[in-house]
Amino acid sequence: MDNLKNEKEIAKSLRRKAISKNWKLFKQSRLGMVGLIIVFFFFILSILQPILFLTGIWDQGTYNPVVGYVDQTQDFLVVECPKEFPTEKYEKRTDCPGRNEVNIKTLFYSDGEVGETIQLNLQPAPPSRDHILGTDSLGRDVFSQIMEGSQVAFLLGILSATLGVGISTLLGTIAAFFGGRVDAYLMRQSDLVLMLPTLPLLFIISAFAELKIWHLAVVLGTIGGLGGSVITIKSQALQVKVKPFVDSARITGGSNMKILFSHVLPNVAPLALLFMVFSVTGAIASESVLSFLGLLNIEMSWGLMIYLAQVEGYIFSGLKFWWLILPAGLSVTFLTGGFYLVGRGLDEVFNPRLRKR
Amino acid sequence: MYKYIFKRIYQLVIVFFLFLVTSYILFDSIPGNAFQNMLLNPLLPPGAYEQVLALYGLDKPLSERIVLYITNFFKGDFGYSYKYYPKTPIELIAERLPRTLMLFAMVNIVSFYTGFLVGKILAWRRGSKSETWITITSVFSYTVFYPWFALMMLWFFGYKMDWLPIGKFLYPEKWYDAPFDSDVIFTLMIKFTVIVSIIQFLIYMFTRNIESLNSKRNLRFFGFILNIVGSFIFWNTGDALTKKIYAMDIAYHMILPVITVTIVAFAGTALLTRTTMMEVLKDDYILTARAKGLSQRRIRDRHAARNALLPVVTSFIFTIVTIIDGSVLTETIFSWPGMGQLILDSVLNEDIPVAMATFSFIGVFALVAHFIADISYAYLDPRIRIQSQG
Repeated sequence: MDNLKNEKEIAKSLRRKAISKNWKLFKQSRLGMVGLIIVFFFFILSILQPILFLTGIWDQGTYNPVVGYVDQTQDFLVVECPKEFPTEKYEKRTDCPGRNEVNIKTLFYSDGEVGETIQLNLQPAPPSRDHILGTDSLGRDVFSQIMEGSQVAFLLGILSATLGVGISTLLGTIAAFFGGRVDAYLMRQSDLVLMLPTLPLLFIISAFAELKIWHLAVVLGTIGGLGGSVITIKSQALQVKVKPFVDSARITGGSNMKILFSHVLPNVAPLALLFMVFSVTGAIASESVLSFLGLLNIEMSWGLMIYLAQVEGYIFSGLKFWWLILPAGLSVTFLTGGFYLVGRGLDEVFNPRLRKR
Repeated sequence: MYKYIFKRIYQLVIVFFLFLVTSYILFDSIPGNAFQNMLLNPLLPPGAYEQVLALYGLDKPLSERIVLYITNFFKGDFGYSYKYYPKTPIELIAERLPRTLMLFAMVNIVSFYTGFLVGKILAWRRGSKSETWITITSVFSYTVFYPWFALMMLWFFGYKMDWLPIGKFLYPEKWYDAPFDSDVIFTLMIKFTVIVSIIQFLIYMFTRNIESLNSKRNLRFFGFILNIVGSFIFWNTGDALTKKIYAMDIAYHMILPVITVTIVAFAGTALLTRTTMMEVLKDDYILTARAKGLSQRRIRDRHAARNALLPVVTSFIFTIVTIIDGSVLTETIFSWPGMGQLILDSVLNEDIPVAMATFSFIGVFALVAHFIADISYAYLDPRIRIQSQG
């Protein structure tokens, strides 16, 4: 009894030692640390929003990313734009109406006249003290939307990556371990999945199923898990399978299941973890593309923010409405980039040939 | 070996059959059908809608339609497009495919070449400040949210600066009284590009074994200049002179998509080359080369980069397979009328014959590529060969 306890403790300390050693190796890669900081930053953003709502610092009516609204009015001078340019005041057609001016032709019901000053709603409002990144055209806080978007991205990315890598690791190891018919079946199955073009396939699926975040995570995970990663993990598992310790486990009488789960799988796990980190990137990008094309049933995400900015015509207004265009696009880019850099760092930990020395 | 190939082909046919059935079921499961817009017309005579459905065979049960489609498919009959009625899917693909291939072949060749050069230098200068910054920039352009980036490029170069056109294949107003079809011009452009790249490739191959690195570089540069002068002469003489303005118009529309996709695609190659090159640099023969006192550049270009090329070439082959799949987004944003738009259009309009034809085109492409990859792996790696016999 005492012996067993001792053994467990030794195993525990060994594991701890391995983790601290790997962490030290990871810290050596500067880019990996940059990626980790970026990912951590977005993680803070995603958990900050519920905290702000719960503590009452932000009130739901104003800052809710989907239905929040706050009245922001500003004084505007009513002007009439001339028919021909240039005039004394305006050089080009795009200069009229200028700042704090409104063209009388675009007023629908107001009884303001040329030269008067009237109060109008200012949406999308530029960044101010209340709204750090301004508001969108419906008066919703952009910063709150970014936070909601990062929740969506984390949930979807990690869920679909876990599912996908789980499936592909299991299937890849089984294919390598048993070989023969099982292998042939699984490989042809992943051929079939690889043959279907991804984006059109997602279009079709979104046409007959109302995709919410959970559904999309399952769909992306399954497609990713059955596709090419099975083949890569299988080739890794094939290399593990011919190692001497697998043979000695078999000689000592280990069952197939025992060898598979306690000898082969743990040795494939590092590669699987690496795959997981990289497929988080893919999942976030796919979600953003789909909601950018307006095909998802998600209330708020980064892709949707860009989609709204595009359909409302703000994307070609250039940097005048930068808070509608830049934050969402940069968030997607930076979060996927962060995960990619973390993956690169892990690669250097698991693959000794990549290390500096 | 032959037994293995035979077995693979047999499996291939089954997979392709399953692929056809799966895609047909997928298309059928989209609610509605291609002719549902007719019902919006209040003046539609009674029975007309049902008649159209019966004409196209859409009133039959699913299983019957699948069997009919697959038997016709293997007879070589792909049906007619629902949307562009008198045209067949084959005609549509023949019209659209060259445009996609031209655009993306150019992008891929440029991005793989430059990406390989940059990645090589990145791995060589590992740990320096310039390496860190270039790597961060390439990671940024590799993971950038592509539709957003493309829109920003469109905004900057097309709208703000007004240097390049915003999307589309050509300016219609220039072609009103053109004596040629745009496809004729485009075919000429494709032929021209293919010949020029073959000449360039031949120059590259012939100078490959020259021992001195400096004279090799000079010869290559000289060949490149010769190629440019030759193409300049070609476009300014005879028949091609009249076609020049129209060809220029199409080329002008190609610039922005090519630049945008190249920026994104090049980073992937650079990062891949960087990783494989770092692995190669750890090998013993690099140490031997250093110990022999070879020059740094020779070690980098001859010993390390050549061996790092293998995974890059593999990834190049697999990228070519996914060209059509990957073109969907680019062609939608730049409104480039190629295969990607055709796929998207047919899927959204439920134009089943066209969608099935494009899907099976991609499928055959992918299957053959994987088959060739598998066979060559089996040829190179005895482990797989032994297993398949057992």
